[in-house]
Amino acid sequence: MSILNERIQALLQNSGAAKVLATADKQGIPHIVSDPTISVNNEGKIIYLELIETSQSNVNLVNSIWFKRKVAIHLSKGEESYQIKGYPAYSVISGPVFEHYYKLSLERNPEFDLSTVWIIEPDEITDDTYAARKKKEREGHPLITHLDRLAK
Amino acid sequence: MDKYKDVSPFVIIKSDVTRRSFTYTDRALGALDKSKHQYQQRVLIGSNGGENAAVPVSLLLRDGTSIISTPSKTAKNPYVVDQIDGKLYLTDQGEIVEEVHYWYKPDYYDKFTSSGTPMWQVASARPQRLDIDPNSHCHFWNKGNGCKFCNINANSTQSEKECNMSKQLTAQDVYETVKEALKQPGAFTNLKMSSGSILSGAEIFDDEVDMYIEMLQAAGDNFKEKKFPSTIVASAFSEKQLARLYENTGLMTYTSDIEIPNEALFAWICKGKHKEVGYAEWKRRIIRAVDIFGAGNVSSGIVGGCEMAQPHGFTSEDDALKAVLEEAEDFASQGVSIVHCVWVPMHGSAFHNQQNPSLEYYVRLAKGLSDLRKKYLLNVDMDNYRKCGNHPDTDLDRGNYL
Ligand code: SF4
Repeated sequence: MSILNERIQALLQNSGAAKVLATADKQGIPHIVSDPTISVNNEGKIIYLELIETSQSNVNLVNSIWFKRKVAIHLSKGEESYQIKGYPAYSVISGPVFEHYYKLSLERNPEFDLSTVWIIEPDEITDDTYAARKKKEREGHPLITHLDRLAK
Repeated sequence: MDKYKDVSPFVIIKSDVTRRSFTYTDRALGALDKSKHQYQQRVLIGSNGGENAAVPVSLLLRDGTSIISTPSKTAKNPYVVDQIDGKLYLTDQGEIVEEVHYWYKPDYYDKFTSSGTPMWQVASARPQRLDIDPNSHCHFWNKGNGCKFCNINANSTQSEKECNMSKQLTAQDVYETVKEALKQPGAFTNLKMSSGSILSGAEIFDDEVDMYIEMLQAAGDNFKEKKFPSTIVASAFSEKQLARLYENTGLMTYTSDIEIPNEALFAWICKGKHKEVGYAEWKRRIIRAVDIFGAGNVSSGIVGGCEMAQPHGFTSEDDALKAVLEEAEDFASQGVSIVHCVWVPMHGSAFHNQQNPSLEYYVRLAKGLSDLRKKYLLNVDMDNYRKCGNHPDTDLDRGNYL
């Protein structure tokens, strides 16, 4: 069962939400791409469609699936903001799943030549709004704040 | 795997499964869906399968790595493919190693050409490649000089007898099958042709070149532009023959296999090639092909590990590896990628009783060849993990794009 709740799955299906994929190369140098087409499949796994075979993201994803390294997805719309970390689980380059997304890419833009369907298994989710992050800090680190905030 | 932490575990698994072979449990065979998966395939070397055998033609790993291998009845320590909780896994001594998938069947497979030939017998499909082998008979065998690891003629003779599979294809069948295959969006990224060697003609291989020109033109009639992503795995052609091939077809890349990158062993194992052309000339011709196709667009295959075949092969893995990588570097420095497959001592080949080297040998070989491409800035898009899938070394390149 997926760890993504209904709200997050709906946001992942919303093309108006901001979605960013962060990967790292072999030296740990980060690389991010913004892609509103990142979505979720009916097993609750995240789908990232890579259009460029030799892109930095694709090479980083290949190394992530080989050496079990996490990638991160930032997801936000309006007041809502989440960070999802997970493992690339499948690099689909052929067969019915690939062909389904290949046709979908073509519908989005006839120029798109899909390289790889990445299926990412989510492993941890963080509520990334300021309010949630601040609340967590207040609870865990009550000594860290400016005194003027506490003045009468 | 602990020792080679920087090498893809998928590549290590692939090499070992090919090396040791595998079997299927009845449960795993029950998961084969004949309407969805490939269970029949025309291949030059290996096995086309029995008439009624419904065995998956090959396996695919989670990262898109192909394992091009078929079960062997005589394997001593095979992996086992089993179905567990609705998924297929490679297992070793009862332990799960990795998830696997069967290769899907393309839409054209069950159709027929206008002459009544089943299209799967005209073109076979790898996960992203269309394979057309117009002539499944090698003339080197006629003189008793076939390469010792190869079973091409034994395989094609058996398939002709048991399955009525023709050894030669017609240009019209090729045209119609490619036309049908291209109707499936996203299914293929490359077209490859290969064949047994044809020695006849005014100059040796002239008839083989004519055959490729005819077949590539037939396939090429389906494309908008003259050139299309394609390769042939063929005999070592002269400069004149290569130029003729390049000018008259859509061919973009070229492979001719040196098989054993060592002159003395080549003379023993590939006796026919050595007698008719010779190691030095075979190599020279491959390197000259770079002038026409460009650096990185010419590769040469080796049967990795066959250099340890006995009684004349290397007896030390270190010595064998050193010799192979030195010769591979000479090729790479001149624009030719050496790519390896894993030597499987096959039925129907002269080496069927031999033993292939250790898994560690294959890991070092794959890494060594991939590192050479990095050193000489050669990309091997023509023969990469998705185009061919038979080379553990080119699988590694995808984690290393420049
Ligand atoms: S040249 Fe050698 S490897 Fe190639 S088909 Fe003939 S016998 Fe087999």
